[in-house]
Amino acid sequence: MANDFAPQSLMSSAPSRSAYSSFSPGRIWTMATHTVTQLIRMRILVFMGIISMVIVIAAFAFPAVSPEQQLKLLKDWTFGALKIFFIIIAIAATGLLLPRDLEDRTLYTTLSKPVPRYEYLIGKLLGVMLLLGGGLLLMDLVFSLMLYLKQSLIISSQIAALEKEQAATPENIAFIKDLNSRFGLTYSLHSAVWAIFLQASVVAAVSLLISCFASSTLFTILVGIAFVIAGHGQSLLREWFLDKMSGFWQKSLSGAIAVFCPDLTLFDLAEPAIRGEVIPLGVLTEVSGIALLYIVGYTSVAYLFFVEKEL
Amino acid sequence: MDTPSPSTAPPPAVTVENLTKVFKSGFTKKPLLAVRQLSFTVGAGEVYGLIGPNGCGKSTTMKVMLGLLKATQGRATIFGRDSEEVASRQDVGFLPENPYFYKHLSGRETLNFYGKLCGLRGSELKGRTEAMLELTGLTHAAERRIGGYSKGMLQRVGLAQALIHEPRLLILDEPTAGVDPVGSRRIRDLILELKERGITIVVTSHLLEQMQEVCDRVGIMSNGRMVSEGKLEDLISVENQTELILQDASPELLARIHALVQESGGKSQLISEGKPRTTLEKLFLQSTTQTGDGE
Repeated sequence: MANDFAPQSLMSSAPSRSAYSSFSPGRIWTMATHTVTQLIRMRILVFMGIISMVIVIAAFAFPAVSPEQQLKLLKDWTFGALKIFFIIIAIAATGLLLPRDLEDRTLYTTLSKPVPRYEYLIGKLLGVMLLLGGGLLLMDLVFSLMLYLKQSLIISSQIAALEKEQAATPENIAFIKDLNSRFGLTYSLHSAVWAIFLQASVVAAVSLLISCFASSTLFTILVGIAFVIAGHGQSLLREWFLDKMSGFWQKSLSGAIAVFCPDLTLFDLAEPAIRGEVIPLGVLTEVSGIALLYIVGYTSVAYLFFVEKEL
Repeated sequence: MDTPSPSTAPPPAVTVENLTKVFKSGFTKKPLLAVRQLSFTVGAGEVYGLIGPNGCGKSTTMKVMLGLLKATQGRATIFGRDSEEVASRQDVGFLPENPYFYKHLSGRETLNFYGKLCGLRGSELKGRTEAMLELTGLTHAAERRIGGYSKGMLQRVGLAQALIHEPRLLILDEPTAGVDPVGSRRIRDLILELKERGITIVVTSHLLEQMQEVCDRVGIMSNGRMVSEGKLEDLISVENQTELILQDASPELLARIHALVQESGGKSQLISEGKPRTTLEKLFLQSTTQTGDGE
């Protein structure tokens, strides 16, 4: 060793830390912030760079179509990219955490500290959700800025065209502004971004549950993707098959399927937002509540698996 | 000898009572009996060496003591608390064999992370982190990512994280594995220093000479069982021989002793005038027939 051991530094004179508590927000926050650092240093931000590129390209592409179509395509591309990339991030990030800790044996060192296993799981999930939330907030800002710029450019060019035709009456200008505002930046678009966050968080919770009994990162990611596909198809499944059953059986089976695999189409609020429809607060509250229930439920089941796991 | 009453006696640092651990495998494979009916106690302030060949159940026993594994039968306690209680780990520092840490963190970030998990905050955390970096000679590499550390440096950062929260019990699984002889010697000195400060240490190592230097008591495991256990001095002394240490004995006195032995008849005979003592290594080899080849 480079330096001699310095025995005087082994023990401090008066340790001041608090007594052990079976639930510590501080420990959970430590796990969560560490998870964010871990994911950021795994270059997960590259995904966000790609989404930003998609938004910028979409903002300046399609100059030949109508102004309303230009705004709609910008929103379509952005929401498509946000949804795909953030669900991939949710599955991959969560899938990489626990199995890798186990494979690298870093889990031994962490759990040999006074850290209950539920705090470890909550901290990991919270870290992924912080990354998803922070990333989506950043992307929402980029998207809002690009949409506002595009909308302003369209309004200016349309007013200029009206002036050229000597038809720039206050009524016409107001109509153009109103039309473009409806297809441009609205609060509903932020609600739709929030719904993507909820959807990605539910997917992250499912992946966490899978990773508690999975033997590898690859298995977790593949099963996570299967859950996402099933989650998008289960409403169709219920529509086709369960409609033929009687009320009680239909309800029971439908409930069982919904508990086992989340109906991810519940969180698809992008379509009405793109069409310029207002998303009521009640709908937003309801989907937030459903997402919370799924997250709490899956994390609780994940704990039941993880607490029994032999390390 | 004065024995404190049970109500006032401090609990032992570690008790392992009739510990049995069976690993269930797949449907087609037989369950693996890793540890069977293992019992031992480590008193507060003792240095206890747990030795045995690879695969004899040492690491499994340590994992049960740390709550990482559940006992199939029996139990382990740490300062009176069941080892399955998370609170028992407040008093424990653990250095795993071949420690792995998060490669994306620097040495300082690693110690900060583990310190925070142990409840350290603010100036205390900063102070302990710097002290542990200095103690293990890693101050110069504190900003480097762990991914670039050598095996010896990983072992040192492992020791630093084990000590970050000033534990009363230190569990060291092969602390000198991969460390050069100088570093290894310093780890030995550190164990002795910690012992002087009253810290209990449970240590495993294949370097039996070093174990002999630091351990008060040892337990030798083989095939999941404790085959020999006790004070080191008792274990390595030869039962049917007597060591007589004389100071300033004249040749005449020695000659008279020789003559007395010869006159006494029977089985008594003078074997040697040195110090008849076996080594821990010999004892270990005599005690176990298991090899690590099957691992």
